[in-house]
Amino acid sequence: MINVTGNLKTDTEALKKLLPAEDILTFSFQSENGTEFTAVFADALTDKELLGEQIVKPLRKYLGKTKAEEVGKGLNAPELKQEKSLEALAGEVLAGNPVLLWEGMDKALIAGVKKVFVRAVAEPPTDVTIKGPREGFIEDLKINTSLVRRRFKTGELMVETITVGRRSNTCVAVCYLKGTSGEKTVKEVKKKLQAINIDILPDSSYLTHFLAERSYSLVKQVGTTEKPDIFCAKITEGRVGIIADGSPIALTLPYLLIEDFQSSEDYFVPPYRATFTRLLRLLALIVAIYLPAFYIAGQLFKLQLFPVKLLLTIAGSIRDIPLSPSLEMLLVLFVLEILNEASIRMPKYVGMALSVVGALVLGETAVTAGFVSTPAIIIIAFSGIGLYAVPNLIEVTSVVRLAMLLVAGSVGTYGIILLTAFILFYLAATENYGTPLLAPFAPQIGRDLRDSFVKYNLGSLPTRPKTLKSKNKRRLSNG
Amino acid sequence: MAKISARQLFFFLACVAPVGKIILMPSALVQAANNDLLFPAAANFLLQAGVIFLVMLLSRSNQTFYQLLANTFGKIAAKIISVALTLFLLYCALLPILEQKLFVQSIFYDTLPSLIAFAPFFIFSAYLCAKQLSSLGRVWDIIAPISIVGFFGIIVLAVGNADFGALMPVGAGGGKGFLSGTAYTMLWFYDSLLVLMLMGRFEYKKGMAWKAAVFYLVGAAAVLFFLAVFYGIFSDIAIRQIFAFAKISRYFSAITVLGRIDYIFIYALGLVMAFYCAMPMQAAAECLSDAFGGGTLRSALYSVGINAVMLTITIALDYSFGSVRDTVGYRLFWLFPAVCVGLPLLALCLRRKKYEQIR
Repeated sequence: MINVTGNLKTDTEALKKLLPAEDILTFSFQSENGTEFTAVFADALTDKELLGEQIVKPLRKYLGKTKAEEVGKGLNAPELKQEKSLEALAGEVLAGNPVLLWEGMDKALIAGVKKVFVRAVAEPPTDVTIKGPREGFIEDLKINTSLVRRRFKTGELMVETITVGRRSNTCVAVCYLKGTSGEKTVKEVKKKLQAINIDILPDSSYLTHFLAERSYSLVKQVGTTEKPDIFCAKITEGRVGIIADGSPIALTLPYLLIEDFQSSEDYFVPPYRATFTRLLRLLALIVAIYLPAFYIAGQLFKLQLFPVKLLLTIAGSIRDIPLSPSLEMLLVLFVLEILNEASIRMPKYVGMALSVVGALVLGETAVTAGFVSTPAIIIIAFSGIGLYAVPNLIEVTSVVRLAMLLVAGSVGTYGIILLTAFILFYLAATENYGTPLLAPFAPQIGRDLRDSFVKYNLGSLPTRPKTLKSKNKRRLSNG
Repeated sequence: MAKISARQLFFFLACVAPVGKIILMPSALVQAANNDLLFPAAANFLLQAGVIFLVMLLSRSNQTFYQLLANTFGKIAAKIISVALTLFLLYCALLPILEQKLFVQSIFYDTLPSLIAFAPFFIFSAYLCAKQLSSLGRVWDIIAPISIVGFFGIIVLAVGNADFGALMPVGAGGGKGFLSGTAYTMLWFYDSLLVLMLMGRFEYKKGMAWKAAVFYLVGAAAVLFFLAVFYGIFSDIAIRQIFAFAKISRYFSAITVLGRIDYIFIYALGLVMAFYCAMPMQAAAECLSDAFGGGTLRSALYSVGINAVMLTITIALDYSFGSVRDTVGYRLFWLFPAVCVGLPLLALCLRRKKYEQIR
């Protein structure tokens, strides 16, 4: 470890040696009594105006006090630290905090005047609500933790910071309610985060790989949200929350599959409406996964699945189609996936044109030309819409839908049944930090079923979910 | 994986176990007992409920059946008995698998009457067999409601067409019909053996024995009602109506407009049946694991071995269902009560012996 010596030239050179990049600047100036100072800072990360106003201006009037503490008292900056180690100083410069060295002083001052580039707190595009809070997390950890802290005016909310990434040194905050969240889960999460040995951490989604208990899993193992109100609600239920600097997506553990069928809005509308929409989401998901598969299986292996009139319509539509039903459906699905992928990535004004091309040129012309049938397009379109009723499960459901299609095309309805049984067994056997993924359905936990597909009134939900094994069980007091 | 809970076991007994008895058994009962088909079925259910009650009493020790055997006879004898039991469990699985294969080919397919349609069952079964029996508990939590919806859906669509007067006069089949009906349908009643294999994998709680028997009888009542509806619809031609549960609901009047909506319920029951059919094989794999050690690799080996054997037998007997049925159901029917009733009774003696040894 190299320390500050008090020789300004030597110290500045040593620090520049550690940080040779061109965007690390030095600024030297003198005070009225002739003492020499050097500020070392990262060009784009430091607020130069604040540096000038709060640090340089007062120091120009410096009258030769020797103790760093006394110097600090004369400055206008509210965040000041002292440090001897040059490595630590280099870290601070890279974090955006300027380091102040001066002749004859064996410590350096670090001023908290970093420039913060943040976008405004806005409604996240992936979780739009009509009723309820519209705030969303942004890319700044401090602002994100402040959004959480604002909702918990209690000392029980613990925010512990862990640095992840050898090169990025990204701050990751572990948030939990002391006495409510499972201690074992908190300990395990912290242990896993501390054990991460990666060079940079671009986004919180990288953390999910390290926090997951199974390296390869069909379903996700970590809950995600972009909304502070959902994040806080999950923490209140006894989960552990994780926010990474630079990512607007917060993570929660343990994850239950039912979470993705719940929307924050469900808690702000009457329970019967919430129940209806949750059941609708389930139905939409079932339709999205099974409709194309049963359509194929029906055509290929079991025509009785269709009512007679519908069968005649289908027969009329597919009569001149050159492709087999499975290939036809796979082709339409493939086109839909391409359109979907392209429309997300394309600029908005091109996206409009793409919709026209997708809907009119590809869709209508393909039908007119006899490449694909109308029912196939209707079914895939319906399935595609159904998939987006549960947006957080799109990755899984689109894969399952494809698997169902392939099985239906080769083995028919019994294949669909067996694949469903296989998935059911797989999901039922999956656990996540000691919590069954399918809880409260498997195992059935009667009390927790009140906030599953059926949503009870708030008054009927006095306790936290039993599944999460929270120590503090009650959330609604009798009095 | 946590142990099976009392509720999960009850779900199995009330909602999963009955599903295996509504495919071929109804027509087999009619063949033996005509309109008195309910009595032989009830007799078998009562016998099984009694044995399940005894097995549940035995499970108070929270030991597996293999542990009881090893405690009493020593490890070598226990291993030999376990191998024999494994073979018997596969024997139990044989007819339901062939039955399900026929069912799948006839009901799920118009244009694919081949083994290919059913072969994937063994992939699913192999996956199941590689896992512990206790992992089924959570599955029962999910498939129990599916089973209830499927069963009652079919009953609701069918009951309007049933003429229960067809069940009269009671006793027309006579004592012979009752006895042959009871004997020749015993091959569908091996639930007590499955519960015996589950021993030590669930936590015994006070009063669980009689509750298990009652839950089993609830499932039995549902099956008996199904049989009554079945005979009420088909009456004299019921003997030729194999794959009963896929047929009784097709006369529902709205089907001509809506299409075969009853298939939703048939598929639901088909899902439950896949789990039930694989269970004896899973129990056989667990039996081997108990006797010769488990672990991921060994369990996978047992699973692959068992399923490969059963697939080979299924292929070999593809066109011999009738003769297998005659052998298993008629000539060797006594094997089922001998093992499924006799073994649990023997296990009661094992337990006493063990306690005497402890004293």
